[in-house]
Amino acid sequence: MVAPRLGHDNLGLGVGLRSTHYPYILENEPNVDWFEIISENYMDSQGRPRYVLEQIAERYPIVMHGVSMSIGSSDPLDFDYLNKLKALAKVVDARWVSDHLCWTGVAGRNTHDLLPVPLDEQTLWHVIERIHVVQDVLERPLILENPSTYITFAQSTMPEWEFLTRMAEATDCGLLLDVNNVYVSSVNHDFDPIEYVESVPHERIVQCHLAGHTNMGTYCIDTHDGKVIDPVWELYRLTHQRTGGISTLLEWDADIPPFPEVHAEVLKAKQHMSDQLPINIVDTEAASKPDVSNTAIPQPVVSVGAEVE
Amino acid sequence: MTAEQKLSVVQRWMQAVITNPEGIVDGVASEVAQQEIALDSTTIESFILPSKNCSSIERLSVYGNAYFARLIECLAGEFPTLEHALGEELFGDFALTYLQDYPSTSYTLGNLANHFVNFLVKSRPPRDAEEEPQWPDFLIDLSRIESIYSVIFDGPGEENFELISAVDLQQIPTEKWGGIRFNFADSYRLELFDFPVHEYVTAVRKEESPEVPSPQKTWLAISRRDFIVRRQSLSQLQFNLLKALVEGATLSESIEQSLQAVAHGETAEFDEIATNLQSWFANWTAAGWFHSLQCE
Repeated sequence: MVAPRLGHDNLGLGVGLRSTHYPYILENEPNVDWFEIISENYMDSQGRPRYVLEQIAERYPIVMHGVSMSIGSSDPLDFDYLNKLKALAKVVDARWVSDHLCWTGVAGRNTHDLLPVPLDEQTLWHVIERIHVVQDVLERPLILENPSTYITFAQSTMPEWEFLTRMAEATDCGLLLDVNNVYVSSVNHDFDPIEYVESVPHERIVQCHLAGHTNMGTYCIDTHDGKVIDPVWELYRLTHQRTGGISTLLEWDADIPPFPEVHAEVLKAKQHMSDQLPINIVDTEAASKPDVSNTAIPQPVVSVGAEVE
Repeated sequence: MTAEQKLSVVQRWMQAVITNPEGIVDGVASEVAQQEIALDSTTIESFILPSKNCSSIERLSVYGNAYFARLIECLAGEFPTLEHALGEELFGDFALTYLQDYPSTSYTLGNLANHFVNFLVKSRPPRDAEEEPQWPDFLIDLSRIESIYSVIFDGPGEENFELISAVDLQQIPTEKWGGIRFNFADSYRLELFDFPVHEYVTAVRKEESPEVPSPQKTWLAISRRDFIVRRQSLSQLQFNLLKALVEGATLSESIEQSLQAVAHGETAEFDEIATNLQSWFANWTAAGWFHSLQCE
């Protein structure tokens, strides 16, 4: 019997910590439930980002979210990276450590993108073996997120939700369900997002991500640059109903508005928690206005600029 | 092509395809991709499935378009003034070539620009030693100072340590001053530039539109205090004095070395040091440059 959320607390409604909001957060101590950090922005920092993080970690629960573990890569795992991740988790008392079901590079390179894996038996067992190693190093369950993807491999033999389910059951890892990514991938790969959310193991979902994306007309890109659209809120409502409530976080990484606006967006989740209306995903063609002129870049783009006198 | 490919082969193929600067079609046709999986535009859909609305090539293009765009955006974020000086398009051209020559091998984007200054130095057309610094040298200076600012901003600092105060210095008997050795703050750097790039950077960061400055030897001390990077202009004499101190010489040795380093009349420089030494050190101590000191 698996405990809900794999035994983790429901931290409430959180916001992704971004450097542009440091001054506001330090000055105003906003009434946000928790923060998620991009791990790689702080692992090596000996300057202001790390200092601010430690200040914030004294006041708020922190969750670490990485973009470079490359759990699906055929390259060897980077133990230096894993040890730094573990050390940071200890310093900020991270409630959990997450990354993505993806690979970021091979042959020693890092594309800094979250690239999709073929969803077949070979990859599944490769990823399972590596999750065991990572969890041994970190001495805690790893939480893995479904990425937004833009291609599918002919050699895939199972849907992503089945891959995630088998992966989680074989390793006891947790899941970070990004309902925006489910929606984006469902548009890109012509699957039913409701079936996806219904099919993942709900008791293993530790956290949920919300974000905005860009409708490119014939596909969607996960840009984290705007408000959450209604179909994604519908998927969130379904996820909340099936899980009984999970830690929920809004990611906003491009064209970032002032902190109160970002915070207000995630607080909208409250109305979807109490709402018992049936789930009704509207036609994806009409869900958001296409922006074919947009030169959108899929997330992640994570870097912190220097502050100079 | 429906048989299962080994994961490492799939990944090497995809990386070769999406990182090809000429685009996905050229990427698929490239030798490095063909060595992994031999596909062409007629067979690609047997390996990468099309969707209802997009072909396999169009779908791969999302990754291909993002690869360089994302990393160029990150480089522009680290070198905003250089991008301002070059213009977005030319900066993008330099960045594109750089990323092909030095693809990221680090888990962090913080290391993406580690070779960028050297790349620009190597890209510079040959220059005679006698020749006055030109536009390319200005660009190299800009890249150097922005790189230094980034390194100092997120590198080691003294914010959690008690640094030497003016009072500490005043308590040292005058006769012992000559034997002092200073330990500098970890963030402290002395840098010589061919152009006053610090002023140009500041102006651009204030969203002004400065003229490209004329060449002018510029001696700077760059350090961090209270997590903010700070720079201070120095005279050549001050620079030489501090450089000797950084290298571990005593104060009297440093004065001697700095006087030897200036080509013209020694007397004027000696007088300058004698007159200003105390106020210089008072300012430099207040700036938090010294971590500790030893008296011989």
